[in-house]
Amino acid sequence: MSEQKVTLLLDGVTKRFDEFVAVNELSLAVRAGRIFGLIGPNGAGKTTTIRMIVNITAPDSGRVELFGQPMNRTLQDRIGYLPEERGLYKKMKVGEQLRFFGELKNLKGRAADEAIDRWLARVKLTDWKQKKASELSKGMQQKIQFIAAVMHEPDLIILDEPFSGLDPVNVGLLKEIVLELKAEGKTIIFSTHQMEVAERICDDICLINRSRKVLEGSIREVKRSFGRNSVALRIEGGDGVLDDKSLVTKIERHSDEIEVLLAEGASAQDLLRRLLTAGAALTKFELVEPSLNDIFIAQVGGSE
Amino acid sequence: MNKFLAVVKREYVQRVRSRMFIVATVLGPLMLVLFTVVPAYIAGIKTGGPTRLAIVDQSGKLSERLREVIVNERDEEDAERERVAAQALNESSQERMEQTGKSLRQSYDVQQVAVEGTIEETRRRLDERIRRDELDGYLVLPADILQSGEAEYHARNTGDVFTRGQIKNRLTTAVRDQRMAERNILPSVMREVNSPVNMRTTKAGEVGGKEDSGQGFYLVFAVGFIIYLTILMYGQVILGAVIEEKETRIAEILFSSVRAFPLMMGKLIGVSLVALTQFLIWGVVFGAFALYGTGMLAAQGMPVSIPRIAPSLILYFLLFFLLGYFIYSTIYALVGAMVTTAQEGGQLALPIILLLVTGFYLAFPVIRSPNSSFAFWVSMFPFFSPITMLVRIVTQTPPFWQIALSLFIGFGTVVLLMWLAARIYRVGMLMYGKRASIPEVLRWVRQA
Repeated sequence: MSEQKVTLLLDGVTKRFDEFVAVNELSLAVRAGRIFGLIGPNGAGKTTTIRMIVNITAPDSGRVELFGQPMNRTLQDRIGYLPEERGLYKKMKVGEQLRFFGELKNLKGRAADEAIDRWLARVKLTDWKQKKASELSKGMQQKIQFIAAVMHEPDLIILDEPFSGLDPVNVGLLKEIVLELKAEGKTIIFSTHQMEVAERICDDICLINRSRKVLEGSIREVKRSFGRNSVALRIEGGDGVLDDKSLVTKIERHSDEIEVLLAEGASAQDLLRRLLTAGAALTKFELVEPSLNDIFIAQVGGSE
Repeated sequence: MNKFLAVVKREYVQRVRSRMFIVATVLGPLMLVLFTVVPAYIAGIKTGGPTRLAIVDQSGKLSERLREVIVNERDEEDAERERVAAQALNESSQERMEQTGKSLRQSYDVQQVAVEGTIEETRRRLDERIRRDELDGYLVLPADILQSGEAEYHARNTGDVFTRGQIKNRLTTAVRDQRMAERNILPSVMREVNSPVNMRTTKAGEVGGKEDSGQGFYLVFAVGFIIYLTILMYGQVILGAVIEEKETRIAEILFSSVRAFPLMMGKLIGVSLVALTQFLIWGVVFGAFALYGTGMLAAQGMPVSIPRIAPSLILYFLLFFLLGYFIYSTIYALVGAMVTTAQEGGQLALPIILLLVTGFYLAFPVIRSPNSSFAFWVSMFPFFSPITMLVRIVTQTPPFWQIALSLFIGFGTVVLLMWLAARIYRVGMLMYGKRASIPEVLRWVRQA
């Protein structure tokens, strides 16, 4: 783990609802200025974890520390939260609505007006400021909800399934904004069960399943630790090399390429060197990383 | 505090600006008039022609007198009632009242029928005429009616209690007049003997001995009625306001910024300010009309008396009105916290009205003995105190500490209930999706 500052720390956090343990002994650290993916299947305890982070509920045991302080109410204003369960006041005009959400985060007066105008322009909804929320499409409403979560310039932004139900153009737009926010030094917690999205956007991830943490680390670390150590090949000749059981334990033949699983202790470098010395003609030599999706299915599916 | 004010402001501004509010403010008084005048008018309509009545007078003394009384005179009860009503009204409404009275009064066609053959034969003949629709009913006055005071009334429609009552009253008048005439008592003498006593009521111990015509008491009922009306109008609004964030799924966003208690309180206060605004508008408009009206009357040399109420009493009325309003709207908020949709809330809210009505009825035992321990306890119980304590104040003002204690308990209950509502709301929101059962709610209150 790098020496970067830790924005959020959960230490042995447990939350029960009657007999049901929603979050069990969860510890994790979110580093400043990074995008942290909180991933897991439905019902894993993601939302409950987030609710403890934003101080909607308190943990039964364990410690939540934000910006180096124990969780308290004043810290709430420094968090921006876009819940998965979200809506707008139907009969309220967009501008007024955002003003209200701003006021709840102590963003008032001209600063609020400026932020609203700036953000509406950014998501291309300036013309809709005086419209009632009920006149907006679902995608537009979602962008307004997104603004409500980020307009008060929080240091920690929590986005729970922010892209669900959006068209690809708007997904692209929001993703761009999220990366901008990261560049500004904001810490972002990103909760989703869409692994492709998490893989593309997150720096670090934490996979939770059945109220427990399964994996944690940077995407790179996770993938490496999870690496199946396989290589995708497209070659002519050098067949004998692949039969060496001390080098390759398994060969999968696909239509125009083969995937080989390297033996314990053998490296891709060894394989490449052996193949070249054997005079094989290589058109493809690629280390195959497991996708986050593969890891997710392996971890979560295996536990079912 | 800032966030609380933000919630109050949103609730208030959004509602006051809504079309519904403007429409309700304008149409409210109109509806009230419609609801009071129209039913009375409809009830007074009697379709069809005059009631055709036959009199079979076996005494031979009464028929002419009775015919006169029935056709020409209203009975004394009518006259008395109208006289009392007229005193309370100014000229133009007195006219209106008389017109209404006339339309309410029935017209009769009266004919005398001699006994031919036996009385049974006569009855049969008259029954036959009723069947042929030549007659609506007939009276049989036995020979000894002046002594026995017994008579028979046969009619097609015996369910018409109004006509029946009127005929009975008028028959009584006729019989009494006849009895007096036979004893040589002049009707004018009788009227003098019967004239009622006018009793001036003054509260003991009050300096100057101001006359108390019971205005204070009527005002208590007016306050009670206004509480009732406000709750009917705004209880559902509070319920809706509390449920709004659940239905629109905004609750979680709010909870990441503001605690449940200021949120709940903000909603309660915001909606209440809307109600007060509406009442203020109505009050000002009504007051302006009243001032204009009395001014006009005074200019025409009419004696106008504005009821005098002590300022302290007005203050108490205001305080207890607010208390009553808050107590009951808080229950609506509590219900709103428990349910997920407005429909469910409506069903649960019904018992609230029952509680309020109970408070009304408790006013009666309290009037009779305002210093009993029963009166003390019901005036301390927060769900009844807005009405019962007011009754005590206008009848026999209790010591100040009792009034203060009652107010304290009441407003304390409001805060407590709101705190409870906030808890239930918060826990309910975190486990949303279903309506809470009472045991679940109790468990929620303990946890979280």
